[in-house]
Amino acid sequence: MIMRVRVSLLVTAVLAALAVAPPVAAFERAGDRKILVFAGRQEVPTIDPSVKYDWSIRMMQQALYDALVKYVGNPPEIVPWLAERWESSPDARTWTFHLVRNARFHTGDPVTAEAVRWSFVRTLRLNAGPAWMLSDFLKEDAIKVLDDYTIQFTLTQPYAPFLSFVPWWYVMNPKQVLTQEQSGDLGQKWLTDHEAGSGPFRIKRWEQGVLYEIEAVDGYWKGWPSKDHVGGVILKIVREAAAQRAALLRGEADIVEGLSADDFDQVARMPGIVVPNHPGMTTFGIKLNTQKAPTKDPNLRKALAYAFDYEALLKIYNGNAVLQTSPFPNATRGHIGVPGFYRQDLARAKEFLAKSAYPQGGIELEYVYVQGLEEERKMGLVLIDNLARLGLRLKLVPLTWPNMVARGAKVDTSPEMMAVFTTPVSTDPDAVAYQYHKNSWGKYYGSAFYANDGVWALIERARTVARWEERAPLYAEIQKRIAADAPEIFGMLANRRWGMRDYVKGFVFSPVRFTGEVDLYPLAVAAQ
Amino acid sequence: MLFGLLCLTFAISHIVPGDPARLAAGPDANETMVRTLRTKYGLDQPLPVQFGRYLRGVLSGDLGESLRSHHAVLDDLVRYFPNTFELVTLSLGLAVLLGIPLGMLSAVRKDTWVDHLARVVAVSGVALPAFWLGLMLQLLIALHLGVLPLGGRLPLTAAPPAPVTHLLFVDALLRGEWGTFVTALRHALLPVVTLCFPALASIMRVNRAEMIETLTQDYIQSARAQGFSGFRIVTRYALRNAMIPTLTMIGLRYGWMLGGTVLVETVFDWPGIGLYAVNAAVSSDFQPIMGVTLLIGLNFMLANLLVDLAYGWLDPRIRRPGPR
Repeated sequence: MIMRVRVSLLVTAVLAALAVAPPVAAFERAGDRKILVFAGRQEVPTIDPSVKYDWSIRMMQQALYDALVKYVGNPPEIVPWLAERWESSPDARTWTFHLVRNARFHTGDPVTAEAVRWSFVRTLRLNAGPAWMLSDFLKEDAIKVLDDYTIQFTLTQPYAPFLSFVPWWYVMNPKQVLTQEQSGDLGQKWLTDHEAGSGPFRIKRWEQGVLYEIEAVDGYWKGWPSKDHVGGVILKIVREAAAQRAALLRGEADIVEGLSADDFDQVARMPGIVVPNHPGMTTFGIKLNTQKAPTKDPNLRKALAYAFDYEALLKIYNGNAVLQTSPFPNATRGHIGVPGFYRQDLARAKEFLAKSAYPQGGIELEYVYVQGLEEERKMGLVLIDNLARLGLRLKLVPLTWPNMVARGAKVDTSPEMMAVFTTPVSTDPDAVAYQYHKNSWGKYYGSAFYANDGVWALIERARTVARWEERAPLYAEIQKRIAADAPEIFGMLANRRWGMRDYVKGFVFSPVRFTGEVDLYPLAVAAQ
Repeated sequence: MLFGLLCLTFAISHIVPGDPARLAAGPDANETMVRTLRTKYGLDQPLPVQFGRYLRGVLSGDLGESLRSHHAVLDDLVRYFPNTFELVTLSLGLAVLLGIPLGMLSAVRKDTWVDHLARVVAVSGVALPAFWLGLMLQLLIALHLGVLPLGGRLPLTAAPPAPVTHLLFVDALLRGEWGTFVTALRHALLPVVTLCFPALASIMRVNRAEMIETLTQDYIQSARAQGFSGFRIVTRYALRNAMIPTLTMIGLRYGWMLGGTVLVETVFDWPGIGLYAVNAAVSSDFQPIMGVTLLIGLNFMLANLLVDLAYGWLDPRIRRPGPR
């Protein structure tokens, strides 16, 4: 026993000594260019802007391509980019964009209205990636080139959120892409690991699954925000959190994402490292199957919502999170704090349970979460304790992501409780409200199979109203009604964090970007 | 055998829950987009039709396309497999080089401190999880002492040699890039040691046990009586016989290691086939899963064939035809 204690003391001492190993400060150089190394866990299987997006893909797309407009800052604002200005008709059906005249693709070709038209048509025709955002409202023949630098979109019906999706529709060089077309694939095969953009960076090296290196475009048409701007960025795939942390400490990586809350706290205390910490737009909620017993019973759902210990969520993230005050994330336009929003109140929980079909409890519920996601498992453990006080049992079921999505796709198989993180793609309230519409049934965030004809009608109406003054009250009503139906346990918004060397400057946070995504354009290196 | 493997992998991949088209289309994709993808990849066809088409593809050298990345699976295998092959070959080579002499020494010096030490190494090799050992080596040697790199195959800004065989070490030598060869060797050292340790332990244990048994045989006593030196008896007469079970173990290990490197690859960012397979599995991406299984199965068979051939070389009785 004494021997065992000695060994464990020794191991602890060695680990502690290793943990305080001094960080080394260095960034990569290529000639006189300062190259930042971003150690991320997620690969970039394709960079075709019409085919796919997630945080790592979009980080690279945003660096290589430009769109008509761009999301910047916190709260996110849509600012002119390839379009210097735009206007919409009073009914939000016709949108006209006027392009800047100095934008150039990396080949030197000018970025014209025809290139914009071709890019939008390509995305609609391939019907993948971001196509879903506009395909219900925008048809190919409704995109008109008015002159070389003016383009007009006429939607099939008024659609106010249109502009909020345009930042994710990147413009490609048709001349360049079509020379690489194979069997009428609109350049899909080639654009998987090549680019045809006008963005601030171009590809230097693309070693699939290993690293992706981009270099700054000298004379980028938009200019650079700082004279110390980075000369390039290497996105290095580092799949293990401990290795990411070690790379940051040793100076082999300048930015890391995706560490655990404890790891972030630890690296934040190290000299030479900073940890930006901002409230994000990713909500954590526990979806309750509203179409199948027992959670079909609204009183049981409310009992669950009042039984849950919300403060425990914040503790799991070491305080780096904020609780939801509405079904909509805080950064969503039109977000309101719903009066009397759910917080732990065991008396009310028991009151609602008494009104339900299960007044004595005595039933077992299933809590499905993503296998290996420690935070979700901890939330399940908290819930076991909470529900025991109501006489309810909880079974924790870890599933791989594909299996979980498959279970959540049908009413009959969707579990009573499913832990889900959701990031809306835009700041427009429609992007969140539509998750509660019937058309979202079967998607992972629609696994509650929420049904309320009144709410659906409001959602459909709100997206077609042009004036914000008229839309805002509709969304306020939608938030209140969804909350009242308790289709999920509305949890929290975890903060977005990155570990960075302190010489990395210019980082601009915008909550509309996905979890690990960073806008690489404004980054600079202050060190010599 | 390969056909059986294909049937089994295809069946398992297709009966597990999960809609690969929906996963590949993305979380926000609408039904039309999912349907488009399903049709494009033939996932709307009955399973026998899908299997028939896959078999035809395999026979013509087309292993299909990844739903996740849209890359040809064959291209991906050519990209990732050589890395795993080099890692496993170096690790096993090192394990053989160390494991056999250690096994011999341990058997000859049975129940002495040498034997005890070797057995500690053997038990540790089997007991220590590879990822833990890898992380500890990383922390100690790369992070704390800073003498070896943390991971990867080359420094971030170093360009690999132009591919000839896609084997980095071989290509560096063929291109005469000695600096790249040495740098790659430094990057390989920690993952090779990590992966080598459990193999070394198994080889050593088997070799030790066989050697102990062989050294008690009559013909060894007879050789001793005839005055042969101890070194000659051990290396020339005992080892040769003890090597047959050891060789079986090496063959099995090689096949197993080619498909079981994922943890080491994860810790050291080694761009190998294990990680590729795991990423495909968690996305229900069938074609890469089947491609990897086929390749590993093929390697397993090749490794066993080589072992069978080596039996004949070690023991002439095996290669002689038996009485009719």
